[in-house]
Parts: sequence; C-alpha cells; structure tokens
Amino acid sequence: MTRGERHAGALRLERMIGRVLRAGVTTSSVCLASGLLWTMAEGTSAPARLLLQTGIVVLLATPVARVVVSVAEYVVERDWGFATLTAIVLLELLASALAALVFNRRL
Amino acid sequence: MPAVTPALAAIIFSAGAVSGTLGALLGLGGGVFLVPFLNLVLGFPFGVAAAISLTTVIATSSTVSAGRAGRQLINMRLGMLLEVATAGGSFLGGITAHLIAQSLLQRLFGIVAAVVAMIMLTRLRRRNVILDPAADPGVLGGRYYEDESATTVTYRVRRLPVALGASFLAGNVSSLLGIGGGIVKVPILNAWCGIPLRAAAATSAFMIGVTATAGGVIYYGRGQLEPTLAAAAVLGVQIGSWGGMRFGATASAKWLKALMAVVLFVVSAMMFARGGR
Repeated sequence: MTRGERHAGALRLERMIGRVLRAGVTTSSVCLASGLLWTMAEGTSAPARLLLQTGIVVLLATPVARVVVSVAEYVVERDWGFATLTAIVLLELLASALAALVFNRRL
Repeated sequence: MPAVTPALAAIIFSAGAVSGTLGALLGLGGGVFLVPFLNLVLGFPFGVAAAISLTTVIATSSTVSAGRAGRQLINMRLGMLLEVATAGGSFLGGITAHLIAQSLLQRLFGIVAAVVAMIMLTRLRRRNVILDPAADPGVLGGRYYEDESATTVTYRVRRLPVALGASFLAGNVSSLLGIGGGIVKVPILNAWCGIPLRAAAATSAFMIGVTATAGGVIYYGRGQLEPTLAAAAVLGVQIGSWGGMRFGATASAKWLKALMAVVLFVVSAMMFARGGR
C-alpha cells in the first residue's frame, strides 16, 4: 500500500468515525434532554424514564459503534494488524458489558 | 442514591457546563473537576459520582472528536493501538473498584497528579516537532496543520512501551476514579513519547470515550448510575465543551500546559485532603 492510499483510507475512516460519533451523541442528547425536561415538569413517569434510559444506553453504545466501524474499515483495507488491534478493543468492551450483566445478576 | 429535585439537576447541569469547558480546553474528560464537586461538595457516594462523571466523559469525547474528525489532529492509529491498553486497564478497574479502599486510591492519585504537573512545568518550552514537512512520521507518527504558527507539524512516536504502560494506568485510574484518564497519559505522551501537546490532547480525547465506556457500563450494571442526574450532567458538559472547543483553537500550547499544571496541583491537593481523612 502506498503512502497516498493509506492516507486516503485514514481520512475516510476519520470522517466515518466523525459521523458515527455525531449521530450517537445527538440521538442520546435529544433523548436525555426530553427525558430530563419531562421529569422536571411532571415528575418521574414511565415514558420519561424510558427516554432517559435510552439516552444513557445510546451514549454507552456510541464508542462501541465507533470501534465496530474501525474494525470493519481495517478489514476492508486488509490492514490486518489494525483490524486485530481494534477487534481486541471490541472484545474488551464486550468483557465489560458481560461484567455489568454479572454484577446486575442477569447472568 | 441522592433524591432528584429540579434544583439539584440545575446545580449538576451548571457544574457539568464548567467541567466541560475546562475539559475541552485541556484535553481532559472534565471528570477531574466533576468528580470532586459531586463527591466533596454535594456529598454523593464516590461510586455514584464516578458513574455520572464517566457518562459525561463519553459525551465529551464523542462531541469533541466528531468536531475534530477529518482535520488529522487526532492520531487515530496511535489512539486505537493505545486503546487496547486503556480498555484493558479500565475493565480491570471497573471490576475491582468496589474492593479497594477509596482513601488509598485518592492519595495515590494525588501523588500521580502532582508528579505529572511538575513534568509539565519543566517542559513548558520544549517542542516535539520535526520542522521538515517532507520527513516520514512512520506508521504511528502523525502530521497536522497548526493554525497559530501556520506550519505543518510532523512528529514521530518514541518509547511506545511507555505510552502503552501510561495508557493502561490511565484506563485503570479512569474507571476507579470516574475520570477520562487524560490527566495521566497526555503529559506522558507529550513529555516522553514525542507527541506534541495539541495532538496528544486530541488523541487522548478521542480515546477516553472507549475508556470511559469500558468502566461506565460496569457502574451502570451495578445500578450506581442515576439516569436523571447523569442526563443533567451530560447536557451541561455538552454545552460547556462546545464553548471550550471554540476557545481552545485560539489558545497557545504553552498557556495550555501551564493551566494544566495548575489544575493538576489543585486536584492533587483535593485528593490528598479527601484521602487523608
């Protein structure tokens, strides 16, 4: 791979990651803001709690989605070294999610 | 768990806005200010404060990095390599957080913060920059355009094992104390690994989203995350970091380093005061 190709791939990945992060953070902020305003106005209610929980889960899922996109892009580019590294990061995040479920006694 | 009132939500929103501004300016998650505020001023249990702070770290990281993507200031390859270490450290911290005495951790944190601040102060005028724009930065190095000097800055990454070790420690500290971990790795990447402060801060801000998720999800699973208060903090931090980013583009690297050192000394003193009790 030439330096130019590597550079083009890196730039494409950077823009893609930017879009994923922006989408995730926008979605979660909208959910959190509406859930928070709802709770402040009328007290805790089931739909308000659902909005808040959704906002939190989307927020936690955003970096995970960013790592998934990176793994996919490095595989497409056949950059096996970085595909492996990002896959390891993804496994570490899954290990954390598993630990969360264990602490929550859901497993 | 603290009782949720509109007044409390407003206070936390404001604290988030201040933390977000400072965090974006310094390439920290902002948690370094929010955790002491929630824990020391509002009297939240440490785990509850850490959980709220970690969600704001994720939000700051995502917002700041989305805004910077495509400008090559973030060293993505280096960031993704170092994330292997930060996520591992964060996972271990997350599953052991409830087993370790907080006072011990806080004193240790105070020492680390003070040492790092002194390193920053002694290297205020050092520039880790290759001025020949044709120089090859290598696989992990990078180059970016610096507005204030109107030049393309090129750098190589040195002492990779040090960077990996610092990242593991940063990840561990992140989930134990509810901060992003930039406080640990930015000064080390800058002082010992040849990475200019601006690029080190941007790369760290990029990484801490993954780092804080690895720890934050465990707090969430343990039921220590209050969604309403987290929402107030996250929204405050979003607005604060938006403002901080606009200001940060015009701030000089030397000024940033000095401010960061002062911040680290203050945090260190606060952690000692808390941990020594």
